[in-house]
Amino acid sequence: MKLEETLRVLYDERVEFVLIGGAAMQLQGSARLTEDLDFCYARSRKNIDRLARALKGYRPRLRNAPEDLPFRFDAETIQRGLNFTLLTDLGALDFLGEVSGLGGYEAVKAAADKMPIYGIEHLVLSISGLIKAKQAAGREKDMDAIKELRGLLDLRKKTGI
Amino acid sequence: MNRNMTREQRKLAYELITNPPHGSKLAEAKEWGVDLTLLFENLKLTPTERALKLEQGARALHELRTAGVKHRANS
Repeated sequence: MKLEETLRVLYDERVEFVLIGGAAMQLQGSARLTEDLDFCYARSRKNIDRLARALKGYRPRLRNAPEDLPFRFDAETIQRGLNFTLLTDLGALDFLGEVSGLGGYEAVKAAADKMPIYGIEHLVLSISGLIKAKQAAGREKDMDAIKELRGLLDLRKKTGI
Repeated sequence: MNRNMTREQRKLAYELITNPPHGSKLAEAKEWGVDLTLLFENLKLTPTERALKLEQGARALHELRTAGVKHRANS
């Protein structure tokens, strides 16, 4: 995983995104480890063009798909799809057009915090937003994360940290 | 280090994780097995320090996974 470089690449192309998933959890204070980076991206034509351009030089391919499966992460492909789980030279990157429990980019953005990371302000899904998304996903494995996030939220509310 | 955290906040957070109020979400998390001291340690860090920790953790996880695959292949 190359978090700093990934954020820089997306920022430089002015991609509209919110960092979500395990990385957002850790940035909010969680102690859980993650290997991939998840993003919610805006589905406007302009942003889709920017996203395709940003990742062009990083060999985006579908994760867990046969190597010889033809795939091009270009604006047309992004327009036709919604959620993409990619393997790139920057690591495993997931781009979601919608997040369960929250909705599309605008709803996710409304549930995000601005956070200075490596000198640049980025949008990171809030603890409440992460809880909503995990609850909506309804997976048994998310219960640990939900308990931790609720505890974290409680600690931050009580201390004002 | 998160320099926005005051000494009072640090003291209060330490008290809360050591002895979470009965019936609180913190107490529930502790009972579930969440290590509250790790959360406190993370909250002491700035977002960039957490990001660095995230990248280091991901690297370690990847190395462990790779070592496991190699070990299984050789055994």
